[in-house]
Amino acid sequence: MLKVLDHLEEWLITFLMGAATLIIFAAVVHRYASGFAIPVLQDWLLGLRFGWAQELCIIMFVWMAKFGAAYGVRTGIHVGVDVMINRLSSGKRAKLITFGLLAGATFTGIVGALGATFVWENGAHYAFFHFFGLATGDLPEGPTTPDLEVSTWIVYSAVPLGSSLMCFRFLQVAWSFIRTGELPHHDHGHVEGVEEVQLPLPGEEDEIYRMEDGLHPRDLRRRPDRRMENVGPPAGEAERRSGADRRKEDLFGAASTHGDTQP
Amino acid sequence: MNTAIIFALLVVLMLTGMPISISLGLTVLSFLFFLTSVPIESVALKLFTGIEKFEIMAIPFFILAGNFLTHGGVAKRMIRFATSMVGHFHGGLGLGGVLACALFAAVSGSSPATVVAIGSILLPAMVKAGFPKRFGAGVLTTSGALGILIPPSIVMVMYSVSTNTSVGALFMAGVIPGIVLATMLGITTWYRARSNNYPRLPKATWAERFKAFRESVWGLLLIVIVMGGIYSGMFTPTEAAAVSAVWAFIAAVFIYKDLSLKDVPRVLLSSANMSAMLLYIITNAVLFSFLMTHENIPQAMADAMLGTGVGLIGFLLIANLLLLAAGNFMEPSSIVLILAPILFPIAMKLGIDPVHFGILMVVNMEVGMCHPPVGLNLYVASGITKMGITELTIATWPWLLTMLVFLVLVTYWPTLSLWLPQQLGMVALK
Repeated sequence: MLKVLDHLEEWLITFLMGAATLIIFAAVVHRYASGFAIPVLQDWLLGLRFGWAQELCIIMFVWMAKFGAAYGVRTGIHVGVDVMINRLSSGKRAKLITFGLLAGATFTGIVGALGATFVWENGAHYAFFHFFGLATGDLPEGPTTPDLEVSTWIVYSAVPLGSSLMCFRFLQVAWSFIRTGELPHHDHGHVEGVEEVQLPLPGEEDEIYRMEDGLHPRDLRRRPDRRMENVGPPAGEAERRSGADRRKEDLFGAASTHGDTQP
Repeated sequence: MNTAIIFALLVVLMLTGMPISISLGLTVLSFLFFLTSVPIESVALKLFTGIEKFEIMAIPFFILAGNFLTHGGVAKRMIRFATSMVGHFHGGLGLGGVLACALFAAVSGSSPATVVAIGSILLPAMVKAGFPKRFGAGVLTTSGALGILIPPSIVMVMYSVSTNTSVGALFMAGVIPGIVLATMLGITTWYRARSNNYPRLPKATWAERFKAFRESVWGLLLIVIVMGGIYSGMFTPTEAAAVSAVWAFIAAVFIYKDLSLKDVPRVLLSSANMSAMLLYIITNAVLFSFLMTHENIPQAMADAMLGTGVGLIGFLLIANLLLLAAGNFMEPSSIVLILAPILFPIAMKLGIDPVHFGILMVVNMEVGMCHPPVGLNLYVASGITKMGITELTIATWPWLLTMLVFLVLVTYWPTLSLWLPQQLGMVALK
């Protein structure tokens, strides 16, 4: 069930990214191509209207941004200021990281609720009642967008939907952090096709990709602390591995999971 | 008083390590809820309208274009071209590294990725050729940061979004400072290589140079498409970004064949991931600047600053110090989005050109990427060189010092950045 949600999320933002690029590209090509005086083709091209392209692109990217932000929580891409907390003892750090994750869940939850109210009052209420044949009374029908003439509540529902998903992701990451002490990490320096990188020695993998860049909170297991080194890999870890970790696995082959190889 | 509360809240929330976007949003929500009578629903409206600007959409397109070309194969071609051009001077491979970093960073748009891509190929070669590791690491860490100054640059789009400055003019203004900084880093490399007698490469023939150029030109065309398209008025910056993304796709998949069609969804997904993160920061930064405007903070700060009687020179110094200090804690996009709305009105009142101020901010961000505690470039470089951060910081100092000299130059000599856009008629002559 969760896997389906994960894939849906990934497919949606991948599709939006690609489609928006193609639409804007097509609009630009159309603008210049219809300038050539080729008899039939020009008439056909002039008949096409691309005035909606910009608006559609913006809508697609807003949707991509909202759902991508939720996906980003799962991959640990959101940057923060971690200079201070990375200097704290692990107990305090764990509390602050949990606080941060829950704050994220609170904020996105509130935004989701505000967004839902806004959408509901600006046309969704009317649309649903109308659809089910209930009395709509003096409910507002809600505005539509200028070019595409879609009801704005449909467009804007990206905010409540995306934000709620993000809230869920924050809770998910917080839950997994509390249970395993692990956070998803994003490697900002990841480059494809660089074979010359010498593979790290066993036990040093995490040393290199630890990214103690002060932009991501260090999780508890990657810290050279005697007490934590004896904690074995928790059961069922494979299911919870984030996208970033999966990418790392591709880099080293399936065998190594960072940090677990320490004696 | 309110100003103090807002900033204290923001700083405290940020220091707990939560994402910057969340701390911005929470500051706004809690301030509006507890201390004002502004209906909280207005926040909801702002969240919808925050990123509904076509100009902002250049960011995902540029990220996508960069990601298609952020590949070891492209890096190799750039290195081959760069070393064939400058390899025969003192410190040949090092100089080649500066040039290759400048080219690759411009195309890929990501400083850390540049350090990794160029560094992991060039560094072993340099060590084998007899360069000390420290020298190579120093060159590559700092040169990788050139990417945010040489257009197309995402940080510049961020600045233009938050201050309504023309993206085209900013890009043009970045060209000459970018070349000057690359040259200055090159001179530092050359000088140190000459005094330590580091190896040089045999001089490449023009035939070899041409061959290397022909291989790398497909990637470099991306810069030409963006700059030429915007300058000639063929495209708006966002359209130029979309066209360059399509071009990058064609170059990577059909010309270079570094990627197969099967890899494309993965590139799309990682670009969407990155862009969504940046767009999310923008959304919340828009909220935050709405709060600041509502509380009249930028205006009050501008008056306070002018009231103290600091002139142009003093303000620029303060701005630089503030930006460098912020560079210790945050990454470039967040700094620009948070500090530009505060500093910009003051700069305008003092008669500083918006484009010049933008370039100044970008150069500050570049310096911030190369020094601890938060220098992304340092951290990825420490990954590929297996050197500690302290050792690496010592290794980079000659180049870091060069960058600081350059920063002073850019700050107090506006002509450096403004000359080209003025000649092209994009910025009014004064």
